[in-house]
Amino acid sequence: MSVSNLLENWSKFRHTHPVDDKGIPDWEAYPSDIKWAMSIDLDACTGCNACSVACYAENNLPVVGKDKYSHGQAMHWMRVERYWDEGDNGFQAEQGARFLPMMCQQCEAAPCETVCPVGATNHTEDGLNSQIYNRCIGSRYCSANCPYKVRYFNWYNYPEQENAWPAPLNQQLNPDLTVRTKGVMEKCTFCKQRTYTARNNAKTEGRPVQDSDVQTACQEACPAGAITFGNLHNPESQVAKQWQSQQVDLIKDIQEKDEKEGNRLRGYRVLEELRPYPSVMYLERVRESAV
Amino acid sequence: MKCFLRSLTLLVGLFFYASSHATDALPTLTTPDDVGPVVEQPIEFPHFRHAGDAKDGGMQINCMYCHTYARRSMVAGIPPIQKCIGCHQSIESVRDKPRIQKLFEYWDAKKPIPWKKVHDLPDFVRFNHERHIQRFYFQQDRPYQEVCGYCHGNVKAMTVAQRQKPITMGWCASCHQKDHPVSANSSETGHGPNDCFTCHK
Repeated sequence: MSVSNLLENWSKFRHTHPVDDKGIPDWEAYPSDIKWAMSIDLDACTGCNACSVACYAENNLPVVGKDKYSHGQAMHWMRVERYWDEGDNGFQAEQGARFLPMMCQQCEAAPCETVCPVGATNHTEDGLNSQIYNRCIGSRYCSANCPYKVRYFNWYNYPEQENAWPAPLNQQLNPDLTVRTKGVMEKCTFCKQRTYTARNNAKTEGRPVQDSDVQTACQEACPAGAITFGNLHNPESQVAKQWQSQQVDLIKDIQEKDEKEGNRLRGYRVLEELRPYPSVMYLERVRESAV
Repeated sequence: MKCFLRSLTLLVGLFFYASSHATDALPTLTTPDDVGPVVEQPIEFPHFRHAGDAKDGGMQINCMYCHTYARRSMVAGIPPIQKCIGCHQSIESVRDKPRIQKLFEYWDAKKPIPWKKVHDLPDFVRFNHERHIQRFYFQQDRPYQEVCGYCHGNVKAMTVAQRQKPITMGWCASCHQKDHPVSANSSETGHGPNDCFTCHK
């Protein structure tokens, strides 16, 4: 009963694809009027890592330490990538790095979803790429297939064996989501616990979700206000306005900025040419240096 | 003798075949085994006296008079001791009963009553009382005892609450699959969310 039901729904959400074979958007596939999306202004980002820290606190992420980090076993759902400009004499350190906050892009045609052997990662109706820890068997296939490398595997039993939260630090764990155990994959959920609460409260009050209902942890922490989060299907939301003003479209794999020469648009999405249709828009950096 | 043995083997085989076949049928969702353990509470709280029907000597108090957060929060909540005292300080007739004396001992010592959890969901499950109460109590206008009883069983007949339903994922899903009317006067139906991420956190 439940297995057949699950498979039925699983395939329904797996086949949700913003562009069908003819290149026409298939909005019928969306049963929901909510599509969570984000935009990040790289011009505002100073690379301060406050978003990353906020994510650690909100989502019960273990701090793995230097050794494990150097083995690539960091658990930062939100990481700030650094890019250095290379001049004639190698790195131009004095010019400073360019920063790019990178988290799960919640792709509409997510490469990770199609390869999971047990259906532990699938699409939700509000446009999230879910990760169900109970179903996950730890094949790590999804991580291998993720072009952004934003899926993190629990190589250790962090709460108990690694003692990632020695008492009384365990008191600050967020009860709204689990502490993951050894052998499961995890990744950014666009703060599912917060979007859930926002949707719940809006439903009780009988109104649609507004911008003021929900902020992600990274957005809340960003001192520069570089991160905007909201419902893309609501034209009044800040994020929809930003996507609109940058002429970035969820169903396109090359945006206006790159398609036509000489415009002043800045909006793009990372690795769009792979056609995963990510939900995070980045605003290109305009200023030359960080210093 | 050989013939007897042969028929015996056949009979035994038939019996095992039949019994194994019987277990192939879908098990019923609720079995007597689903009844939870008896939880020893610090005070043997008589639910039947407070919430029970009048004919059974109960006072028909709404579940949400004490478990007040059920309609506006994820968790239903255990009432603070003030709630008990609020009524019981002016009910002189039962003041000398042992359970009430125990209650006032906690009150005088300014200590909360260490109630034990009866319906304990695993940490990876997100269950929302508010959504269920809103849907069935406020929108469909069903009696609260029925609505709470879907998951909590017939608490109004119990003394100390005991788990009566399995509260497993298959059991939750069996109800989420059903079509429920959207409101009391509507023929429109809808069913509960069916996607893993809503309930698994």
